[in-house]
Amino acid sequence: MDKSQVQPEKRTGVEQNMIEKGKISGSQMAIMMNPAIFATVLLLVPAITAKHAKQDMWLSPIWASLIGFLAVFLAYKLNKLYPKNTLIEYCEIILGKFLGKMIGAVYLFFYLHITGIVVREYGEFVSGTFLPHTPMLFIFGTMILVCSFAVYGGLEVIGRCSEMIVPVVLLFYLVLFIMLIKDLHIQNIFPMMANGVTPSLVGSIVPQSWFSEYFIIAFFLPYLSDQEKGLKWGMLSVVSVVFFMVLTNFTSLLLFGRLTSVLTYPVMIAARYISIAEFLEHLESIVMAIWVAGTFIKITVFYYTLVLGTAQWLKLSDFRPLVFPFGLLLLTFGAWSANSLQELSHFLSTSGAFYFLSVQIIIPLILLLIALIRIKVQQNKGTVSG
Amino acid sequence: MKLRHILFPFISMIVLLLSGCWDRQEVNDLGLITAAGIDRISDQTIELSVLVYIPKSAGSQQSMNGSSGGGSSQTLVRSATGITIADAMSKLQEKLPRHIFWGHTEVFIFNDQLAKEGLAKQIDFIMRHPQLRERSQLFISNQKAKEVLSLLPPLERDLATVLRELEAMKMGMEVTVKNFAEMLISDSGDTAVPWIKILPPEEGKKKKETIAYIAGTGIFKKDKLVGKIDDSVTRGVLWLRNEIQLATVTVKPSGTNGYVSVSLQKANAKLIPEYGNGKWKIHLKTEAEADIVQNTTQLDMANPVVIKDLHKQLKKVIENKVNLALVQVQKKMKADIFGFGDAFYRKYPGLWKKQKYRWDEIFPNVEVTIDTDIKIRRQGKTSVLSVIVPEEVKEK
Repeated sequence: MDKSQVQPEKRTGVEQNMIEKGKISGSQMAIMMNPAIFATVLLLVPAITAKHAKQDMWLSPIWASLIGFLAVFLAYKLNKLYPKNTLIEYCEIILGKFLGKMIGAVYLFFYLHITGIVVREYGEFVSGTFLPHTPMLFIFGTMILVCSFAVYGGLEVIGRCSEMIVPVVLLFYLVLFIMLIKDLHIQNIFPMMANGVTPSLVGSIVPQSWFSEYFIIAFFLPYLSDQEKGLKWGMLSVVSVVFFMVLTNFTSLLLFGRLTSVLTYPVMIAARYISIAEFLEHLESIVMAIWVAGTFIKITVFYYTLVLGTAQWLKLSDFRPLVFPFGLLLLTFGAWSANSLQELSHFLSTSGAFYFLSVQIIIPLILLLIALIRIKVQQNKGTVSG
Repeated sequence: MKLRHILFPFISMIVLLLSGCWDRQEVNDLGLITAAGIDRISDQTIELSVLVYIPKSAGSQQSMNGSSGGGSSQTLVRSATGITIADAMSKLQEKLPRHIFWGHTEVFIFNDQLAKEGLAKQIDFIMRHPQLRERSQLFISNQKAKEVLSLLPPLERDLATVLRELEAMKMGMEVTVKNFAEMLISDSGDTAVPWIKILPPEEGKKKKETIAYIAGTGIFKKDKLVGKIDDSVTRGVLWLRNEIQLATVTVKPSGTNGYVSVSLQKANAKLIPEYGNGKWKIHLKTEAEADIVQNTTQLDMANPVVIKDLHKQLKKVIENKVNLALVQVQKKMKADIFGFGDAFYRKYPGLWKKQKYRWDEIFPNVEVTIDTDIKIRRQGKTSVLSVIVPEEVKEK
């Protein structure tokens, strides 16, 4: 209530051109980004990395995290140059109006596409394991609806939502692994690096594409209340994701050994395998809860970015009117993004990696270089004329 | 207000979405299957028999409070034939008024005939079906699986519970679907599944009032049954696989007429592979702790000399068991169910890569040395015999 009273005052302030008036703290961003990367990873990654890395699969996320650190660093560097703007806005500043709009459009389509993919992954898992007869459109629909409410609420709402949800989710996740300890066989990780580092590096290509999604913080850094800590919290967030990914891969490896690569959802089956004193069993619904809550944050973060970016691209004064129409668009993108889980998984583990990396690492890298050169040139001009 | 105008239709839409009625399944519409048996009927067809849990009789039994300890038909066994399990299952559904629900299936029994043809084809269904659990246990039986399932166990609710509880004792190998699949795609590649046998009913009891028990282990070359070992040989296999948990070992100390029985409290085994000069060697290192549970000799168990002799005897017994398992499984059936192949792969990955294709030839000739270290920790509460017997001796 009192927020609506505060807002009109803010509108007259310096940040007149900012569509998003909310502020989040660095820690909120870090917490929010954890499931935004990790949620979809936890189901598919052990199987995908195991295919290439075999018993070294637990190393792959560590290699892949380098891309995550790079993505955070790029977003931070660009934000330092343009502290009040998001990616879509400084694209235009850096590349000029026409080219900037073009690259902006590429990003918007990209985020529309990945959000569609995430929605699809969510739907595939829910319908594949629990609700086989429910039309997938309804599974998408319920999730997108909830997410659109969160997006409608704005960045602050998303930040607080994740502060509430994420710790619970991660705690449950840890508990699952603790309950599996007695079924783990440590000898499965040997021989370590039998074929050198290569298999684990090849296995890290797909997780890299997930880690590159960290570049999305380019949309949140301008709204941090403690901007100078953005880098620190971003990096910490990457570390937390690495920790959970290594834990996931480690457990799947020690529990299933070579079987990991042929399982569709290793974590799910791991949870089903828990049996303590013959009564603590059938815990897969916990995985489901983790998955739904985690994907909720993930879809919300990407959905928000998409809507905010579009509003900024079109230079609208508010992003809220776009929320529900985009929800409808996501529904169709979820349905169109793949024909089946096999196709989706194949896309993610082959061409997908290059697609993600080129949009989220290569283009920002080029942007940063151009921006740095431009500033240098301008400074030189300044010193010449001055 | 504006917001309210937008929200209202959306909130009312949630009602439509929340129902989730496509996958609605009422518990009273489900036929909970607790065990399944698969038999080979003809060259093409198999017979799937399922043990359906009857909730009504379980409830009434509780209210009658033990008046029926069994015997009354609390179990329902239905079967249908088909080309695959999935095919038979759809035929079975025609004969069952409730939806087949696999979520609680704990036991799968395969007939020997199927096991000889290869279990992997059948396991595929279990691994693939979303309801089925990777912790379901596998058994093989030379009697018809349908007959085994239709037994009426006197103590437990049904045969699924009996087999699960027996397996939980860890007297034999514990093979879940996951373990089986893991063994199958491991470097050793050979598998084993416990085999069960119907216990002859006690005199005066009806033919069906009995249980099936785990009589030993079926040894598989890849996924095809090649032979069976009995429970005492299985003990040796357990030592090699480091799965030994409960065991009572009885030995005859040198120079006495009686026996000493000890029960193992802790046991640990480790395979150490060694390769040199083209020779493949496995060193089995075992450590165990035991308590004395019975002593029929006059020996004083507090005497360190006696204990030392006992250690030696125990060592011999355990090594004999392991050797027995090696002779039967390694030399005769030539199936690497001990994980020797994996042990070599872990220690010598390069060598393994080059020699893997020859493993079938190498395996039977792998030299196994055993090093057992067993220690007696406790001698029990009292030792009556050691006080009484010596006096008898004096009187003589």
